[in-house]
Amino acid sequence: MTHKTQEGLVLIIDDEETIRDGCRQALEKSGYAVITTEDGPEGIRIAREKRPDMVFVDLNLPGISGLEVIDILLEDIPHIVLVVITGYASIVSAVESMKRGAYDYLPKPFTPDQLRAVTKRGLEHHKLTIEAKRLRDAEEKMTRDFITFVSHEMRSPLVVVQQSIESLKMVAGDCLSDEANDIIGRCEKRIRNLEDLVEHWLNIRQIEAGTLIREKGILDLSAVVMRSIEDMEPLCEKREITLERDISKDLPMITGDGESLVRVFVNIIGNATKYTPAGGAISVHAGYDDHYVTVTVSDTGRGIPKDKIPFIFEPFYRVKETGEQLEGSGLGLTFCKRIMDAHNAKITVSSEEGRGTTFMLRFPQ
Amino acid sequence: MITKKKILLIDDDRDFLMATRLILEKSGYEVFLAENGTSGIDMIKSIAPDLAIVDMMMDTWGEGFDVIAEVRSMDRGKDMPLIILSGVDLQGPYQSFEPSNEFPKVDRILHKPVKADDLIQHVKDLLG
Repeated sequence: MTHKTQEGLVLIIDDEETIRDGCRQALEKSGYAVITTEDGPEGIRIAREKRPDMVFVDLNLPGISGLEVIDILLEDIPHIVLVVITGYASIVSAVESMKRGAYDYLPKPFTPDQLRAVTKRGLEHHKLTIEAKRLRDAEEKMTRDFITFVSHEMRSPLVVVQQSIESLKMVAGDCLSDEANDIIGRCEKRIRNLEDLVEHWLNIRQIEAGTLIREKGILDLSAVVMRSIEDMEPLCEKREITLERDISKDLPMITGDGESLVRVFVNIIGNATKYTPAGGAISVHAGYDDHYVTVTVSDTGRGIPKDKIPFIFEPFYRVKETGEQLEGSGLGLTFCKRIMDAHNAKITVSSEEGRGTTFMLRFPQ
Repeated sequence: MITKKKILLIDDDRDFLMATRLILEKSGYEVFLAENGTSGIDMIKSIAPDLAIVDMMMDTWGEGFDVIAEVRSMDRGKDMPLIILSGVDLQGPYQSFEPSNEFPKVDRILHKPVKADDLIQHVKDLLG
């Protein structure tokens, strides 16, 4: 009987005939399908072809090292449960096999009950491993599909509306009154907000799925901060806010993903511009001590009320004054927090109403 | 009589096609529309456009790649200016595609939505 049964297919590789026959009898009685062979290379060939759920390998095979057989089987057949039969009760070779990925070992002599117990446990482990992998794959796929779906289905209509407004301005631009242009401008602004919302939300999903931060490398944080400052300079100029910087020249390197960190700093500085009046200042400072590299972004804006500080990193939470027009997605700081978490870094905030807010971003060296 | 330059737009979103078409027509180009990759390829053969603008993600992600590879393998399309207009930036806003063997050379990669002035400037640059 060499077909897979409900109970599982077991391959025995052992050069002793009595062992092979004994194992076969014991396991077939319990409903397992069993294939046996005395030869290592033949065992590998059978395993590749029949894909057994579990393999018992004698470590002391003639002509080929049992460890070699283990390596090949583990490499070729994913999730295979491999138990070594140790002829001379050598704990050393058993440990070596386990190190290489064997599931268990069975010292000779063993009883049919011992064999059945190891087999039962091994096959349960096999089933669980496969089930866990299936669930993990399904979950990953769902997250991936969902992100792709949202990117396309939610962004597409926004893109069409934006492109249509572009085309409307082009086709009718000359004949539109100032009022009509104002209306169009408001539409554009709100659509941009909605687009930001979709993008931020998507980014957060991507962080959760582990696909946003692609590669962490050794990073010069001062370059990242400088790039972010350069990105934000035009906006600050437009809003008549001074953007000051004080970046230590010899910042120690950190481990991180530069692209996502630029987005964090751009977000934090951008946030500061929203709450800082014209004539105010935002200052970015980067320094270090023995353990951390710390970047602070301080503004001279209106500050955050004390009772609201604990909530600002929550999704969709916004510090809003009555009647105030909302700006942004409400997800910017959540995004920053998640990126910082992914860097094992901390983001904290201190603020005094009417005087300003300071965000502190602290990275382990 | 001056003959207008011909631009082929390939995109599976009809509304997007209409919006983009108006921008290009207003700028003096003759615009042809294809709503999928296959008819786009057919139209390149039949109307011989001076430039094509291809959406990246049509029915399936990657259909745009196939269209571009096909265009570049045609005599008529080997040197034709090609603009990719990508709606979804799966690479993240700070990364851009680099041409490779699997991804034949295109002349511009623009992101949707595209400002009318930008689009026209790129088209002008490519068509001389």
